[in-house]
Amino acid sequence: MALSREIYQAFEAVVGARNISEDIGICESYRAIPCQTSDHRGPFKQKTPLPQAVILPGSTKEVQGIVRLCNKYGIQFKASTTFWSVMGYIGSDYSVQLDMRRMRRIEIDPKNMYAVVEPYAIGAVVQAEAMKYGLNINIPGVGCSSSVAASTAGWVGFGPQTIFMGAATENMLAAEWVLPDGEVLRTGSLGAGSGWFCGDGPGPSTRAILRAKQGTAGSMGICTRVAVRLHPWPGPAYIPSRGMAPAYKANLPDNFKAYTLCFPSWDAYAEGLNLLHQAEILYLGHRQFTMFGRDIKTAMIKILNDPDGQLSDLEGYVNDPELKKANEDMKIDIQVIIAGMTPRDTEYKEKALDRVLEMVGGWKSEFMMDPEIKDWVLMYLLRMGHKNLNYVMCGGYEGNFGLSGNVFVSSSVMEEASALKKKWEDEHDYIAQVGGDSDMGSITIMGGGGSTGWEFFTHFDSYEKESVEGTAEFFNATQEWMNQKKLGLDMGKWNQSARRPDGYYFSQEEQDEMFSKLAQPLVAYYQYRVREAFNPNNLCGSYYRTLSKV
Amino acid sequence: MEKIQDALTRIVGAENVCGDPKVLSEYSQDKSFAPGLPPRCAVRVHNAGEVGAVVKWANETRTPLVSVSSQAPHYKGDTAPGVPEAVIVDLSGMKKILSINRKYRMAVIEPGVTYGELLKALAGEGLTLSVPLATRAGKSVVASVLETEPRLNALHQWCDLDPLRCVEVTWGDGNRMFTGEAGGSVMDLEQQWKEDKWQWEPAGPMMLDFYRLLTGAQGTMGIVTWASVRCEIMPQAHKAYIVPARKLEDLVDFAYNVLRLRFSDEFFIMNNTQMAYLMADKAGEVDGLKEQLPPWMAVVGIAGREILPEERVAAQEADISEIAQNCGLKMPEAVGGISAEAVLRKAARPGGDASWKEIYKGAFQDIFFSTTLDQTPKFIQAMGSLSSQEGYPVCDVGVYLQPENMGASYHCSFTLPYRADCASETGKTRELFVKASMMFSRMGAYYFRPYGIWSRLQLNKDAQGYQVLQRLKGIFDPNGIMNPGKLCNY
Ligand SMILES: Cc1cc2nc3c(=O)[nH]c(=O)nc-3n(C[C@H](O)[C@H](O)[C@H](O)COP(=O)(O)OP(=O)(O)OC[C@H]3O[C@@H](n4cnc5c(N)ncnc54)[C@H](O)[C@@H]3O)c2cc1C
Repeated sequence: MALSREIYQAFEAVVGARNISEDIGICESYRAIPCQTSDHRGPFKQKTPLPQAVILPGSTKEVQGIVRLCNKYGIQFKASTTFWSVMGYIGSDYSVQLDMRRMRRIEIDPKNMYAVVEPYAIGAVVQAEAMKYGLNINIPGVGCSSSVAASTAGWVGFGPQTIFMGAATENMLAAEWVLPDGEVLRTGSLGAGSGWFCGDGPGPSTRAILRAKQGTAGSMGICTRVAVRLHPWPGPAYIPSRGMAPAYKANLPDNFKAYTLCFPSWDAYAEGLNLLHQAEILYLGHRQFTMFGRDIKTAMIKILNDPDGQLSDLEGYVNDPELKKANEDMKIDIQVIIAGMTPRDTEYKEKALDRVLEMVGGWKSEFMMDPEIKDWVLMYLLRMGHKNLNYVMCGGYEGNFGLSGNVFVSSSVMEEASALKKKWEDEHDYIAQVGGDSDMGSITIMGGGGSTGWEFFTHFDSYEKESVEGTAEFFNATQEWMNQKKLGLDMGKWNQSARRPDGYYFSQEEQDEMFSKLAQPLVAYYQYRVREAFNPNNLCGSYYRTLSKV
Repeated sequence: MEKIQDALTRIVGAENVCGDPKVLSEYSQDKSFAPGLPPRCAVRVHNAGEVGAVVKWANETRTPLVSVSSQAPHYKGDTAPGVPEAVIVDLSGMKKILSINRKYRMAVIEPGVTYGELLKALAGEGLTLSVPLATRAGKSVVASVLETEPRLNALHQWCDLDPLRCVEVTWGDGNRMFTGEAGGSVMDLEQQWKEDKWQWEPAGPMMLDFYRLLTGAQGTMGIVTWASVRCEIMPQAHKAYIVPARKLEDLVDFAYNVLRLRFSDEFFIMNNTQMAYLMADKAGEVDGLKEQLPPWMAVVGIAGREILPEERVAAQEADISEIAQNCGLKMPEAVGGISAEAVLRKAARPGGDASWKEIYKGAFQDIFFSTTLDQTPKFIQAMGSLSSQEGYPVCDVGVYLQPENMGASYHCSFTLPYRADCASETGKTRELFVKASMMFSRMGAYYFRPYGIWSRLQLNKDAQGYQVLQRLKGIFDPNGIMNPGKLCNY
């Protein structure tokens, strides 16, 4: 059903003719393959539905105007900003897609260490602005070209620096939010006109309805501005670099240290990480480069450090005895960065790191201490600007297993998970053969340490049917393994309860069927009640998981 | 009365139902200026089953419930019934420490567990917990974290609600559930522990942040029967310093510079009056102490825990004292006859049954709110002017500033001691309290924890926020039985 002229013109009156389109070419570009996870280009058969129009609001008032019209005419809507994930796309036929790219302002309060951002302020820009004041921002694993507000409002928002900076839910201060019924909610201190410094209260927090461990993925209205806490950056006003694209290296002062820590066993690894959580010495902790695969990570690092490096060099490097040895050395590893606030602080943190390694029998990878590699790692991890590399091996990848429990639980099954993946790699040619273990993820998904957020990168060809379908089969097998081990949902299936494989939202009946089986169904039941209260016309789709009765 | 007692007796047993007017009158009024009414009776509950049954009965009979976990005396007006015929649900007898896990630094406790009890048990496991300033002995840890009382160590607060993590709650509608990570699996703690799940992650478990509806709620949403809290490794080296200053402004820069680098563990600022109240053992000592002390002080604690504790303390000691120097300040271990170590000892441990703020004149009223540090001097100056205008001795106004949430905001608190047996002094203090509360509200103070008259001042400023709260209240407590009369009766 196309929008009637009356409705189209009503939207046009809100944003102006330049900021709305129903051109098929434009609308078609706002469709995505409905992969199973939050983000990655995974197994797919169809695309998400075609929006009736794409609308670009430029202010909170315009957003409110659009939402009111959607309520008036019963049109579903979803706002998205940087569109890295399928979560951002609509899931029903009679819907409009809001693209928030016109709202991009950033204001920084350097003293009180927060930034107020509009949706299209991306991590890279907020970081660059913050660094001018000696501050930095938690950039989630999705990378610096993604919207800060989207991770804060829409999804989980943890990353390599969460150990030092906390995750999005922790960094979120006050917010301005257009609720699905068109009312504007200002949370915490902002509602009372006292500023952006506190997102909670007064009394119980209205923020409760906007996000929890995960964001509402566009299913509870639209965040128009949000304050996020910033954190110390003991470096220059920008990251000076050297080298040639794409192998830029960071020229940072000596208080920045990047190491790859290696452990003799997964037990030692878990113990080491737990000590690192407690020691409060890390600026960043992430198992990054194993995403290429245990057997080829050093080869890939070599290629990526060379501006002329090609994937075709892989074969030669993989058989290089030195690189093989380095691979073996860093079989159970994690990348960390220390950022000393003062020379004494640097010295203490270095010593403390060595002490932790001593306590668990760990060591630092020599290979990764090569100054060129070290500076490349600093650029990679501090900036989080290399997300293209996630896809570089085969054009597509999907994270699975998703071992996000505590570090002791996840580490204890790592070899078994790796063996399962290796078996599939060896027996099938639709996923890349990289040595089983391709586990990547942050040292913690919450400030100061706690649950880990790890996924196994499964590299596959997203343009080859067999590869796409085979990967899906593999994920079914890993989910089964996860079930046996009582490890919860496989990461490849995290969003399977939010959108159907055909790209459409679930009906309430389908949701009822799924969520009545929850261990504590009240969770989804209260979400239903909240949706009824704040989204009475049910205009934002099924990412807000609901159960209509208990 | 008879009928109510019978019904409650069936749930909790006769020995746990109290209708004695003398006892009930103690619940009816606390030590704040907030008005209260005598309850109909009080029940002592011992487990979530009993709580559930009481809530169910209250819904059937539309009886208001006021839950109380801390031991008396109370000071903020939130536990004194705001409507007639209320039943007090006394959880102070729920005293089990359900688990302490050293590896994950987590503890799960029932609402009756006090700070003294928990800290002792934690110490046995090599753990501790960042606490509110010199909390009173009978204060429930669960009530304190639900009230989001500020902690001495803001740098361990990853959000405003830390160290609170998961809870078990019976909502006003009678439904019981776990929140956060604990809400994502089977509703059985033993089973969760078997699966190595330690009620760690507070948010969710999905997209609705249940625990945020309970914090700051003054018991108006539901009754919590256990909570998990994030603990810390017990320091192996611990030093304390006092940074004296003539003006608050000097300490403002110092505080920004220290916390910005994530240095220090405990950190707070006080004027000499507040410090004298904290450190005096009896009223007669207060004035002398006050005179010896500098006008303003920052108290800085530095802890070394498991990894190279001495080295950590030494490095931070040198760095923080350099920051002090750059601000034209010194960082001695003692000032005006009091040692920083003694201050920290007093600040970080539970004190007596009553608040230390009573020591000077027998009674006191606090005014507190959240703001940013750079705004605090203007509030303090305004308080000084208003006090002298109202004839309240300015030199008796204690000021305490506590960073919250990594220093993103500050708890700004004024203590006004008065003689409760002197009607004119009480009246004058009450007058000042009301006027100052209104003045701060006009100046942009944020009553993050809106007790008593602050709830109207705060919630009236934001009609949309208030409406959202009302709708949420309608979902979780549809019959309005949970502590009615509080938070503007939303
Ligand atoms: C390669 C890759 C790696 C990733 N790694 C991580 C990781 O390590 N940690 C992690 O937490 N996540 C990770 N993710 C998931 C990622 O955080 C989400 O994709 C995230 O939301 C980033 O924004 P986006 O560009 O997808 O935003 P968008 O497409 O703009 O939006 C994402 C969601 O937020 C909603 N949204 C956007 N803007 C608004 C708004 N203004 N108001 C309300 N809702 C809004 C959208 O509707 C959508 O549902 C990864 C994703 C990718 C593609």
